[in-house]
Amino acid sequence: MEEEDRLHLGSAELRSRLIHGTGKFPSAEVLAQSIAASRAEMITLAVRRLHLDGDRRSELEGLDLARYHLLPNTAGARSAEEAIRLAHLARAAGLSDFIKVEVVGHEATLLPDPLATFEATSRLVAEGYTVLPYTSDDVALSLRLAEAGAAAVMPGAAPIGSTLGVLNPHNIRLIIQECPVPVIVDAGLGAPSDALRVMEWGAAGVLVNTGIARAQNPVEMARAFAAAVETGRLAHRSGLAGETSQGRQGFGASSPPAGLPLG
Amino acid sequence: MALGDLDGNTALGAEQLRTRLRASRLYLVTDDLSPLAEVPNLVEAAVAGGADLVQLRRKREPWPELVELARSLQGTCRRGGAIFLVNDHVDLALAAGADGMHLGQGDTAVEEARGRLGPRPLIGLSTHTPEQSLKAQQLPLDYIAAGPVRATPTKPEGIAVGLQQVSAAARVSRVPVVAIGGLDEGVSAIEAGADMVAVVRAVCAAPDPLLAATRLRAEAAGATPWRWISLNGEPRKSPPGEALLELLARLGVEPSGVAVEVDGAIVPRERLATMVVPKGAVIEVVHFVGGG
Repeated sequence: MEEEDRLHLGSAELRSRLIHGTGKFPSAEVLAQSIAASRAEMITLAVRRLHLDGDRRSELEGLDLARYHLLPNTAGARSAEEAIRLAHLARAAGLSDFIKVEVVGHEATLLPDPLATFEATSRLVAEGYTVLPYTSDDVALSLRLAEAGAAAVMPGAAPIGSTLGVLNPHNIRLIIQECPVPVIVDAGLGAPSDALRVMEWGAAGVLVNTGIARAQNPVEMARAFAAAVETGRLAHRSGLAGETSQGRQGFGASSPPAGLPLG
Repeated sequence: MALGDLDGNTALGAEQLRTRLRASRLYLVTDDLSPLAEVPNLVEAAVAGGADLVQLRRKREPWPELVELARSLQGTCRRGGAIFLVNDHVDLALAAGADGMHLGQGDTAVEEARGRLGPRPLIGLSTHTPEQSLKAQQLPLDYIAAGPVRATPTKPEGIAVGLQQVSAAARVSRVPVVAIGGLDEGVSAIEAGADMVAVVRAVCAAPDPLLAATRLRAEAAGATPWRWISLNGEPRKSPPGEALLELLARLGVEPSGVAVEVDGAIVPRERLATMVVPKGAVIEVVHFVGGG
């Protein structure tokens, strides 16, 4: 069973269903060790101006980017146009057609702008990108993004960086259930149990950044998230007792009702 | 500080002053040898000939005479459409209501001068090495001088650093670069990357200062300057004909792993070697950093 279980995203075929963020790590060394510990094959990146003078080193310097599937984001964009411009720069810098569309519509929470996310997704799909939009937990919007050609949809469990876990489990489960494309739960996953839960529900994968980067021991936490994602995936594929495609069944004793010597 | 002088000419605002600085080509520094009484006529002639900036550099005169002279020169410059600066003395700049001041490496610190002058007056700083030119970019100043280009009796202690220092300054500067030191023509320094040419003897010791200033201004204005561009949101300069790959190389940037956008359009990596930096281009050079 394990050999056949691959996540297909555009041209990428992934064994690991944990996508590893690269922001906010305490050092380049810790980031490199954390990615290695997680065995992630896809990592996210941001696009920023190069410093013209002085120190140009970034937290990515310890990584051989050629070893990973790169998922650059459009973080920082406030409109569809800005997201598309960042996507063009990302493709030119990385020679990869993958893009995580992220358009902030509300500064305080960094919640995504649904209209701009949809527009940027549609246009970048038309330009031939493999688009993975970061979206809210709105079910209908996820379906529309899938229709628009998104390779996967990435609903946020909670606001970016909040580590609040899954705030609206009902909607996340509905999206997983209804969406015709892979659902990768992104943003706000604070503990491995959060990742495990959504993987049990059938999420195709998770993207974790702050939950690992800001842990007291990021490298060990990366390992913990990886184990949780594997466990959740295995549980989902094994079919949870009491769950059917229609939802939960009724209650029932685990021990046989017959033969009780208490008559 | 009064914003109008006795003739009723209004001083330029901070923005206008800087706009005019960017369009300047000829910068006159007064000499220390001419009799003080001759300085006003000299400045009058230089401004009439096209000097865009005038710096009063006199070290030995008594304070009241200096203040009086500075006030009078500020008036001359304002009437003639030139910018008036004083050398080193913040107090003199304040007393004369000067448009700005020039500082040497050993003079008052730029931050201190800015603190005392406020935001309007221009501040310039002499730089003699590429390191000084680079370091100056962090300071609240409006131009840097690069030199001495040639050995000069005006500053016998200065070691000539040649036009290389002008080019080195031009490569890193986000503010105009003034070439100074023994220059008696206006072309070579501009072509080496200076925005303007500063002269002392070429005008002050000329038989006809007005004619000398006119010639120098015309030479400097006729030479082909480096182009101002916007690079990652900062003003920078690029020599004419520079290819994008050369621009990246002098910034120490490997083209692999970066993306280059010129005026909103991505430049494919294979075109970097042949595409020349357009005049006034808005260029972005980006790379990947950590992100979620």
